[in-house]
Amino acid sequence: MNIEELKNKSKLYRKTIIEMIYKAKVGHPGGSLSCIDILNVLYNTRIDRSEENKDRLILSKGHVTPALFSVFMDLGYIEKSEINTFRQINSRLQGHPDRNKIKEIDANTGLLGQGLSIGVGAALAKKLKNDNDHNVYVIIGDGEMHEGQIWEALMEGAHYKLNNLIVFLDYNKLSSKGNCNEVMNLEPIHDRIKSFNWHIEEINGNDIEEILQVLEKIDSITDKPKFIIANTIKGKGVSFMENNPKWHSGGLNDEQYKKAIEELN
Amino acid sequence: MNYKLVSTRDYIGKVLIEMQKKHKNLVVIDSDLASSVKSNEFAEVYPNNFFEMGIAEQSSMSSVCGFAMEGFIPIYVNFSIFVTGTVWTQLRQACYSNFNFKIIGSHPGMDNGPDGATHHALEDIALSRVIPNMTVFTPSDMNELKACVEEALKINGPVYIRTPRDTVPILHDENCSFHTGKAEILEDDGNDIAIIFEGSSSKEAYEGFLSLKELGYKNKLINIRSIKPIDSELINKLSSRVKGIVTVENHNVSGGLNGVISEEIVKSKNNIIVKCVGVNNTFTESGKTSDVKKKYGLSSEKVVEKALEIIKGL
Repeated sequence: MNIEELKNKSKLYRKTIIEMIYKAKVGHPGGSLSCIDILNVLYNTRIDRSEENKDRLILSKGHVTPALFSVFMDLGYIEKSEINTFRQINSRLQGHPDRNKIKEIDANTGLLGQGLSIGVGAALAKKLKNDNDHNVYVIIGDGEMHEGQIWEALMEGAHYKLNNLIVFLDYNKLSSKGNCNEVMNLEPIHDRIKSFNWHIEEINGNDIEEILQVLEKIDSITDKPKFIIANTIKGKGVSFMENNPKWHSGGLNDEQYKKAIEELN
Repeated sequence: MNYKLVSTRDYIGKVLIEMQKKHKNLVVIDSDLASSVKSNEFAEVYPNNFFEMGIAEQSSMSSVCGFAMEGFIPIYVNFSIFVTGTVWTQLRQACYSNFNFKIIGSHPGMDNGPDGATHHALEDIALSRVIPNMTVFTPSDMNELKACVEEALKINGPVYIRTPRDTVPILHDENCSFHTGKAEILEDDGNDIAIIFEGSSSKEAYEGFLSLKELGYKNKLINIRSIKPIDSELINKLSSRVKGIVTVENHNVSGGLNGVISEEIVKSKNNIIVKCVGVNNTFTESGKTSDVKKKYGLSSEKVVEKALEIIKGL
């Protein structure tokens, strides 16, 4: 898939995210829009789900299901009509990922801080069964890094030199309350992760080309797990949502919906 | 009964080694307590299938999801308080995903006497049984532990196995069987009282039963084994026959065995008295395990006292 096609997909996914949250009147638009380009590239260029041994993606910041489901709809894992049922009773599209309802979901997440540890287990398991052809991708949020369990897993990943474990930090710098680093400072995050002995990269996480390039670059790193600080914009693509903590969670009224879709077209 | 007292904990490693011979896809997860829970014996024989995650119980618990996702059957072995309490939301999330994993909790209840209240797992039955998809077993000796782990490995889902650390009588021979949802009637002298115990309180329950026998009462002694699912059929049958039930547990009487049995009695619609022997809504203290158990309400004397209260209509 070329870059132009991927860019078009991001556009489609952003609209689907807004559609889904508008219809449900609830959801997490800000973080869904900030991490969608990463999910787009991973699912469309990296993740092989065709065999028994497959790549894994643990969406540790589980509240961004609108982003996940928009990709799943495109991949045919869920029907287009299901988008209208997000967060409603009898739907497969839960507020947070549920693998019992959608088999392509690797693990149930959403209680923050747990996903990276799940990734450590899966990466170790792949080593044990000599599956050297597939990776374990984990997407975590910045507010989520306040959880102590993340740092437990960072230790473990480096201890076992899990070169098949790739973490994307969706660093949009806003959590529910506001500035994530004012809530609890993560900086100097680059140095901190590096001191845990991970290979570290920093990119613009809303730039498709940079995401593609960094993935290619880290393939050659064979002695360490890999941590990508993806600088993103919360609410990316919708002007009134961008960098506005108010849009961490919530629904859109008719006017907001119209404006958002117009901007995304 | 073979009244030789042996710690079931000492057999955890041996049982795991034996299971690995049949189930090649087992992996054992440790949080730096392998020598205390004897999974170090497994690590010596199967080093590649043993994973040390450090004193990071929450991450250890979540990592089982990753192993299970990849087709392994992870067994996380640790003290009961850690493997249920410290990791409760991680455990709950793993159960929500309905992964095929097992947890083995050693040092349940007051079995870790000298370490004191912080390490006394008096809530682990309550914490585990309340989670959907979870199965909860309480084997009472090393032979039953082996049968119990074998049974747990037949279940495609999460199972908590609660294993005594204190020395307990050997109630079963090597070929004992274990079935999910089935209790075991160990002794059946008559229909006065049914004494029902969970595995780590077998000594107190058995000795209480013997004392009551000497006093001339004809009771039943039930090893509950499977806390969840519970043997509803047997509880229902008992509740229509005996004068009362005494539950015996190395646990807080709220939410544990007494809670389970009481819930069943309510469902059975039989109007029968249930009295409890166990710890009553209090934190405990350090001491020799037998002293702590006695002081905080788990003793054969308490079993006799509660049974007599029922018989005498108190």
